[in-house]
Amino acid sequence: MNTQNAENRPAVKKDTKKKIRVDFDRTPLKQRLKEKYLTFNFAKKVAVNIFRYVLMIGIAYVILRPLLFWFLDSIKSAVEFNGGYGDMILPQNVSFALYRAIFTEAKFFEALGNTFMLSLTVALLQMLVCCLIGYGFAKFKFRGRNLIFLLVMLTMIIPHQTLRASMDQQFRNFDILGIVRLFKGGGIEFFGWNVKSIGPGVAEFFENLNLLPDQIQVGLNASSVIEIRESGLLLTNTYLPLMIMSVTGLAFKNGLYIFLLRQFFRGIPDELEESAYMDGCGTFRTFFQVILPLSIPMMVTVFLFAFCWQWTDNFYVRYLVNSVADIDPTSRQLSQAYNQITGNSLPNSLQVIVSQTGKGLSVDAYTIPYKTTFALMTVAPLVILYAFCQNFLVQGIEHSGIAN
Amino acid sequence: MTNDVKIGQVATSAAPKSSKRKKIASLDRRKARAGWIFVLPFLIGFIVVYLPILFQSIQISFSQYTTEMVGGERVQVSSFVGFENYKQVILNYKQDGQIFTQVLLSGLGRLAFELPAILLFSLFMAVMLNQKMAGRALFRSIFFMPVIISTGVIELAMSNTAVTTMGADASVDAESGGVATEEDTANQIVQMADLQWLFANMSVGQGLVEYVLQLVNEIFTIVNRSGVQMLIFLAALQSVSPAIYESCKIDGATGWETFWKITFPMISPMILVNAIYTVIDSFTRETNPVMKYIAGAFSVSEAGVQLGKSYSTAMAWIYFLIVALIIALIAGVMSAFVFYGRKND
Repeated sequence: MNTQNAENRPAVKKDTKKKIRVDFDRTPLKQRLKEKYLTFNFAKKVAVNIFRYVLMIGIAYVILRPLLFWFLDSIKSAVEFNGGYGDMILPQNVSFALYRAIFTEAKFFEALGNTFMLSLTVALLQMLVCCLIGYGFAKFKFRGRNLIFLLVMLTMIIPHQTLRASMDQQFRNFDILGIVRLFKGGGIEFFGWNVKSIGPGVAEFFENLNLLPDQIQVGLNASSVIEIRESGLLLTNTYLPLMIMSVTGLAFKNGLYIFLLRQFFRGIPDELEESAYMDGCGTFRTFFQVILPLSIPMMVTVFLFAFCWQWTDNFYVRYLVNSVADIDPTSRQLSQAYNQITGNSLPNSLQVIVSQTGKGLSVDAYTIPYKTTFALMTVAPLVILYAFCQNFLVQGIEHSGIAN
Repeated sequence: MTNDVKIGQVATSAAPKSSKRKKIASLDRRKARAGWIFVLPFLIGFIVVYLPILFQSIQISFSQYTTEMVGGERVQVSSFVGFENYKQVILNYKQDGQIFTQVLLSGLGRLAFELPAILLFSLFMAVMLNQKMAGRALFRSIFFMPVIISTGVIELAMSNTAVTTMGADASVDAESGGVATEEDTANQIVQMADLQWLFANMSVGQGLVEYVLQLVNEIFTIVNRSGVQMLIFLAALQSVSPAIYESCKIDGATGWETFWKITFPMISPMILVNAIYTVIDSFTRETNPVMKYIAGAFSVSEAGVQLGKSYSTAMAWIYFLIVALIIALIAGVMSAFVFYGRKND
């Protein structure tokens, strides 16, 4: 036994105080490579990796393809749309006519500014409100908590599109508990019965209670006027319906935000708050100074969702606040501007191009690349924003302890 | 000395004990009050804004609206008609030659296809994105892009322009009544691989083959709709303790076993959440055919009666009830299989 070990033991070449050089009889390189690479495990690894990357790149292509095509179409010259839309993949002659038309003739930057302001306000409001609500659900026990959470889920399950008619009615005649009616001389009404019907004296008293003006102007925009009528406030000329829904956590997919934030706050150890309470911090101060700074990744995630979904929103700005754009085209949103593009409304410079290019090119065929370029320009700021924030997105979700 | 005595008394006598309990109760109550204050914005909104909207919506679905001229002013007059709208919508109403129940059924059929596809795909992708590999950050950011981008007007633009993307093929398709979309492009790419031939040599059921083929054809839709689900799964995967995997490895479990015996049960609550989210998301999308149908009915009017408003609201309520039923069903069935690691309060 011992002798065998001694034989196999590598020979010591040189022995100094600090180092030993040992002479191995190394396996030849060929043999080593064979051992390493000609194994089942290595083959499996390679196969798995090839499969994985082919799949990943393929799916990434599927995701990026529309944007790529929109971009390629946007720099094609008009001649290339001659035989209809999208015949060739690579542009033959580069032309920036579409961009020029969008930037100079389509009031693009006004719409961009409007959209930015609206999305920013709405997203900030939703983020803060959903943080509050989510924190309330996560860290406090009170009677009816689960019921109220169920209600939150309910508001998410009923799509707002299906409530379109009644939402429109609600925000056309917006009134909280009849306050507007009362101060507009309408008296107090319950289910069709009015206090005024008691007697002429009472009716006169309530009619004299007409204290509110007929309209109030909100914001800098001349078109944003709230009309005050007996039946309530007419809010559909303004963005107030969206604001009201954001402040109350009822806006688009707020149920999801509340759920995500609740899960996130649950993951924060209670000891943190307890020590803050010990140090004499109140509930709200603890929330704002201890909890919120810890939740920035998740808040950015929710902000990103809210901002981007408001940015591309095609429902609320179209049906709830539609009148804004009708009165004043400069107060349009990007999605409204996109929806209003038709062959007839093509910018003049593009109409000229169409007429110059001649027989092969129809206005309709050239409207499509115009639309896609507009969509590309609409989405471009989001892509840039996403590039900066995507770290937070993954981080926020990763640390959310969502499965706890 | 006197202090000591007092402390001793407090510790032994019963009365101060009850005062101590009272103190705790008041802290609890204070916390409960704070909780109410935190959820107050939602509560107020729900009562003041949302309930009236719901109430009005129900009212609209049970009445019909006519516009009449009263003293030179157009006034909307509503009349209660009971279940008439519901009856009309289910039995008589047609839009583009299709009755509502037909559209509804095909929508449900679509969901039956989409739901497992999206769940499987997003779980699969989340597992892939959770592994260590070169360029993971890049892939992650690309894969989550649809969450941000393919929504609202952009989704609409994608589905609209995609119709004509493939030029000649698309025009032929459009003439023959079919609609060529992005999916067709993916289809064309895949056709090169000739999946059908691949599957023909395997002894699997015809149904499964068709399902996989449809899956591949609609990869564009599925990829674009599974962003949020992927995020949620990824978060769930990350929250599984590495110690469990380590002990599995030491015990000699293979990756396959680890996935089915550890990963899968650990993330099963999120499968339920994702299933519900997927149902809600695909039902409430603007591109959903049923939603399109309901929206299309909105402006219908007949002989001065604004039928559309009542009809579309009635349809919306039928639709909602079915969605709620499906969600309850899914939640009921799936929660039997869900593994909860620890009970939440």
